[in-house]
Amino acid sequence: MQAVIALLIFPGGLCVLLLGLAYEWLDRKLMAQMQNRVGPRWYQPVADLVKLLAKQETMPNGVNPLLFIGLPLVGLASVLTAALYVPLVGLAPSYSFRGDLIVTIYLLGLLTFCMSLAGSNTLDRFSLMGALRALTQLFSYEVPFLLALLGPALAAGSWQIAEISAYAETHWLILTQPLGFVVALIGLMGKLELSPFDAPEAETEIVAGALTEYSGRGLALFHLSRDVALVVGLTLVAAFYLGGMANPLWFFGKTLLLLLVVSGLQALFARLRIDQTVGLWWRYGMLLVLLQWLLMIVWR
Amino acid sequence: MTALEQAQGLLAAWAQETRTPEAGRLDVVIAPEKLVAATTALFDARWGYLAGITGLDAPKSGQIEVLYHFCAGAYVLTLRIALAREKPSIASICSVIPAASMFERELAEMFGVAVVGTPDPSRLFLPDDWQDGVYPLRKDFAEEASHAE
Amino acid sequence: MPSERFVIPIGPQHPALKEPGHFEFSVEGERVTGATVRLGYAHRGIEKACEERNWVQSLYLLERICGICSHIHTTAYCLGVERLAGVEVPPRAQAIRVLIAELERVHSHLLWLGVAAHEAGFDTLFMYSWRDRETVMDVLEGLTGNRVNYSANVLGGVKYDLDEARAETIRKGVDYLEARTYYYLELVVHDPVFVQRTRGIGTVTREQAEWLGLVGPAARASNVARDLRVESPYAAYDLFPVQMVLETAGDLEARVSVRLKELFESYRVIRTILDKLPTGEIKGRMPKKVREGETVSRVEAPRGELFYFIKSNGTDKAERVKVRTPTLCNLAPMMTLAIGHQLADMPMLLAGVDPCFSCNDRSIVVRNAQEAETRWTWEQLRRYGIEVYKCKR
Repeated sequence: MQAVIALLIFPGGLCVLLLGLAYEWLDRKLMAQMQNRVGPRWYQPVADLVKLLAKQETMPNGVNPLLFIGLPLVGLASVLTAALYVPLVGLAPSYSFRGDLIVTIYLLGLLTFCMSLAGSNTLDRFSLMGALRALTQLFSYEVPFLLALLGPALAAGSWQIAEISAYAETHWLILTQPLGFVVALIGLMGKLELSPFDAPEAETEIVAGALTEYSGRGLALFHLSRDVALVVGLTLVAAFYLGGMANPLWFFGKTLLLLLVVSGLQALFARLRIDQTVGLWWRYGMLLVLLQWLLMIVWR
Repeated sequence: MTALEQAQGLLAAWAQETRTPEAGRLDVVIAPEKLVAATTALFDARWGYLAGITGLDAPKSGQIEVLYHFCAGAYVLTLRIALAREKPSIASICSVIPAASMFERELAEMFGVAVVGTPDPSRLFLPDDWQDGVYPLRKDFAEEASHAE
Repeated sequence: MPSERFVIPIGPQHPALKEPGHFEFSVEGERVTGATVRLGYAHRGIEKACEERNWVQSLYLLERICGICSHIHTTAYCLGVERLAGVEVPPRAQAIRVLIAELERVHSHLLWLGVAAHEAGFDTLFMYSWRDRETVMDVLEGLTGNRVNYSANVLGGVKYDLDEARAETIRKGVDYLEARTYYYLELVVHDPVFVQRTRGIGTVTREQAEWLGLVGPAARASNVARDLRVESPYAAYDLFPVQMVLETAGDLEARVSVRLKELFESYRVIRTILDKLPTGEIKGRMPKKVREGETVSRVEAPRGELFYFIKSNGTDKAERVKVRTPTLCNLAPMMTLAIGHQLADMPMLLAGVDPCFSCNDRSIVVRNAQEAETRWTWEQLRRYGIEVYKCKR
């Protein structure tokens, strides 16, 4: 019974979904405030979701219907699964085993992969272009991001999220691994395709990128998946670098602080071209994270 | 020597008639087949730039007049070419001035002047399903007629 | 390896375009290998319509060619028709024309800055510059009662006069905008990410710019001295001279900074006009019929040289009004330049010349000559929609 509750209601399932919508609203509101706009009301993400779910879904000609319907489900399922392995709201993860960090990162990557596949599945040129860019971007940020999250793992001597978080409770890794923290946070922005890494969905070039042909339920699910990915990502970074598991309120504060930084960074920059994104990650992101590793090894 | 005098000198070989309609302007009437040569002369001397091509339909005299406006600072030089209203055609000057392409396309679709050798003869402004042989800026295309219920 | 042409269509409906135009970019990966343009989606047949309306009616029609540069269109038209009719326009009217034209330029350039920033994905700058644009719109509204189509020009003069109180509010608005413009200029030349998107992109050398026939800020960014306000001062620009702003780099960054630096000139001219506004009437007498003749009227619109050719046949209607807008001059060169650039640069490149499709599209009638009935009732439209939808299923 407890397992079912953990899976469906708290801390997994419903709770994560609501948290995701709340974070999305906060992100939008903060962005709006920084851009001198009013921003959406608190229930706007829910309203958007309900509207999209209620809308008729148009399936374009030439797509594989199984993939078209299945991919949003797989995407959402993968991030929801990932949510079970992270210390949501500062509580111990619902499930834990050795090496679950790798699984979590893989599951987060699966969402991007699902979106790219969904884009490639259609004949639409914007979608194809967006899918191509999303994959290109995946290959650029994924390695530095992974290495940045492995830094704490290396320090804690474990690849299990629960153990790393426990270790982080006594070691604020943002102080000992500042470079890794920066790369992890910005890597998260790349992963979530937030500005300035929003070339895969650059609206002035390729409309909505890979998701251009999606309407109705598929789009709603993909949006929801991205919100959940935001929660999972912020939780991971906060747990690893900002003092591990803590009481929910305190942990909440930490993730919100991270969200504030992320929103600020989004408002601050113009969009990078895809070649500039790749260059940035491999030239600077990679270098920074390797430098961090080098420092850690020397430190020991 | 002002720019207009210089232009007059450049075009002297082809000019059939030269007028000064107002201060700072010079109108030079040339024969249709001399257009490319005259344009080349202007271009080689770096005299101004092509500011536009105007078509003028005059059904009474049975002519379509094509005006090539060249501007240099405050001065405007106009090459005037009279074409027969039946099957008017003129050579393209895109080989000399590529920027003329848009102007030539507009002239062709609005006045039915065939621009021979223009690189892209496709429609620029008119809808794809516009009837061939209907040229909206000709005088016999009456706006009121098209609004008649 | 050109194997199959992969064409990315931009428009007629596309988030990058605020007005309908259609561009097709063939790409290999992210690299553009070809570009074509198709216009006409906002055609209203204004040139033709002018031939069937009297001189005064045409004025209001021409004002609606473009929303952003409405005043400059009527200025060009009025100056041309007044010259044909031999009407003397009082100096105060000419000064007010220039005043509104410069305010309009401020409006247009700020709007453009926002659009360019949006194309680069820099929405914060977009929001900021459009907020500040409200200031100049309010100033224009206070002066003329309208925010977009100011309707300030009439044949023979202007409609609106201004007093000292009005001048003071304009001064206040201009002071605020000047401070903001400094800030934006700093931003666009120093923000590393934005500069990455503009520096060295879409470079046009001086020779190319002359050869391709660029006009306006796009030409001045390539160090081509083309500004009719300086070269051939019309209206009151001889009384209130403008300094030409030139840049040498010829890339997108230069096009941004030319426009912003021009704003300082506009602010200066606006202040001078307010301080030294000539006294007297604001409208001369205009005859109903205009004597036979032709004239060319050229003015400097915010986007570049605006060219009017007006022919009168001695009646109360024009024989021909030809409008050549700056966008038509600037668009073709950009299509040539596009080749070899990244797809991601295309919206920026297009925005770099500040294209105005409504300006371009003006010269045909809306109706299709073949169709018997094109005015649809709501019921017909609804039925048509259902039919189309059924077929697609």
